[in-house]
Amino acid sequence: VKWCKTKGVILLDFWRRPSNPELPVDIRVPFPSLQAVKVFLESHHIEYSILLEDLQVLIEEEKQEMINNQRRERGTSNFNYGAYHPLDSIYAALDDLAAEYPSLVSKQTIGESYEKRPMYILKFSTGGTNRPAIWLDAGIHSREWVTQATALWTAKKIASEYGSNPSITSLLNRMDIFLLVVTNPDGYAFTHTNNRMWRKTRSKISGSLCVGVDPNRNWDAGFGGPGASTNPCSESYHGPSANSEVEVKNVVNFIKSHGKIQAFLTLHSYSQLLLFPFGYKCTNPADYNELDAVGKAAASALASLHGTTYKVGTICSTIYQASGGSIDWSYDYGIKYSFAFELRDTGRYGFLLPASQIIPTAEETWLGLLKIMEHVRDNQ
Amino acid sequence: MQRQSAARLGPLLLLLLLPLAWGKGPSPPRAAEELQVSNRLAGQAARVALHYLNYRLGSPSALRALGQVRKATLKTIPGIGHKYYLQFTTEDYKSSLNVGTCLATVFYLKRKPRPAVNINCTYTKDQKQIREDDYSFYKKMRQQTKPIIGNDIPDSYGNIEPALEPAWALAVAGSSYLMWEKSTENLGYFMAQVKNVKQWITKDDSIDFDYSVVLHEIPTQEMISCHLRVIWTPGHPLKVKYFCLSENQWSESEEGSGTESGSTNGIFNEKEAHF
Repeated sequence: VKWCKTKGVILLDFWRRPSNPELPVDIRVPFPSLQAVKVFLESHHIEYSILLEDLQVLIEEEKQEMINNQRRERGTSNFNYGAYHPLDSIYAALDDLAAEYPSLVSKQTIGESYEKRPMYILKFSTGGTNRPAIWLDAGIHSREWVTQATALWTAKKIASEYGSNPSITSLLNRMDIFLLVVTNPDGYAFTHTNNRMWRKTRSKISGSLCVGVDPNRNWDAGFGGPGASTNPCSESYHGPSANSEVEVKNVVNFIKSHGKIQAFLTLHSYSQLLLFPFGYKCTNPADYNELDAVGKAAASALASLHGTTYKVGTICSTIYQASGGSIDWSYDYGIKYSFAFELRDTGRYGFLLPASQIIPTAEETWLGLLKIMEHVRDNQ
Repeated sequence: MQRQSAARLGPLLLLLLLPLAWGKGPSPPRAAEELQVSNRLAGQAARVALHYLNYRLGSPSALRALGQVRKATLKTIPGIGHKYYLQFTTEDYKSSLNVGTCLATVFYLKRKPRPAVNINCTYTKDQKQIREDDYSFYKKMRQQTKPIIGNDIPDSYGNIEPALEPAWALAVAGSSYLMWEKSTENLGYFMAQVKNVKQWITKDDSIDFDYSVVLHEIPTQEMISCHLRVIWTPGHPLKVKYFCLSENQWSESEEGSGTESGSTNGIFNEKEAHF
């Protein structure tokens, strides 16, 4: 064996070196050399036994455990919610939340994006089986960075205040909340690596050099109608067909299979608006009066914190006619409480909202969201 | 025959009559429609009026942003266009503090390339302070031996380097000219980012900047890249040349269009010289 070692032809890593013929020797054998070593030992009648079949597996497990430990130690109290984070950090924060509040928060996948990134949702639940639930998503348009940041802060808010905040506590005692922080992960990654102003998905379009579909023109609600483009190079390209974008399809599938979603809330930026259906047509929804009243109450609650004023109204009259939008689909599907927020600001910074405004935005938006959720809770 | 010539005179008369008609009893009954203050076209028109104001004021320290629309009326003039009558509050572009109210008309003409704007504003910001701020920026730029350069203002995270803030403000003023020209009743603009700024050191009194800016176009959501050349001397009209990637040629602002620039006693009164 010593001879083997000195020869160095086969790369063996001696963990316990040969010293005395009475004592065993421990060797780590790289996989390519495994056969040769076994043959050598057997042909020389040297007894051996395998202590560890595959060291790499153990290394991976240990690494993961270290990460988990770090997470538990760091917790979500050290995560800077007042900063913009790349996708990996956001995903790590989701794990941290689930780890820190295991009896309330769990992480699930609803599918993968076009480029095979996981789409994670957080489920906030105090139990029961398939309770009625509220859906909240952010970041469907990737350049709207304040939305993903707000959603993450909101997750922490809900998790940390269950039990102490009477409103959240009573809500979660009766309903679940599902939160999709990054609805368009491919687009979000692209805003970090290539183009801060990217809006669409990153799907390849057959017959075009241009990439991506506007995910908020791709829903099955007046699909292909006014306010969406047929040009693949356009920022509002609706895509080849409704639900052609896997990101949209994943949400639709989740909502449909859940079966008891009572509210569909989505975050966009910018313009400071609180919108309800319709966008694909310029007629009022049947529930106009109620939605308008709830919207106004929510906007009022939002404004009470920092004075930020929001306009409330239907998509068509307040922003512009746009077909294939998510809240139109959810409303027509039967989810009455369908609202879209356009968060800060009104154009000074636009998509490039300073990080210093993340927490104020999240705090005020929370008041608006809570108003809506309370109404949903009380009107089931 | 007679009706045609009357129609041609119509808009001219309306504009001349406007300062007299404004606020004096009911508007001439001509397909007038009161709009909700939350109406998006009203807000859009108010923004166009402010683009025009910011351009004409030509002062990086006096830039205004839209506050709230208080009153909006739309008049349809058949065969001519749509005219918005607006009252809105404004905020200081940098500080967001309320700096006064404006009355404006924005006339989208069918046969003219850009909206005709008439705007009167009250001004609560200290005029002397504005002039001083403008002049101190101007002086600093005149004293540069090495040209100012910069990228991505604000950056991805919304940061603006304090040293580059006045150059950014000048870009807003220059972009205001371009956004006013490009705006239609249905297409609106915001200046999303300065991708690039480069100063030209000049031998004359002006300061001279080259900008690449990105405009956010509503409702198409497109990001339009434009190249801007802004030449400025405080107290003089901004000189702006621009070229946007969707266009084939440079566009330029007029020089010395015969109207007064600057403000007096906090009230600014400007009339569109031609349309």
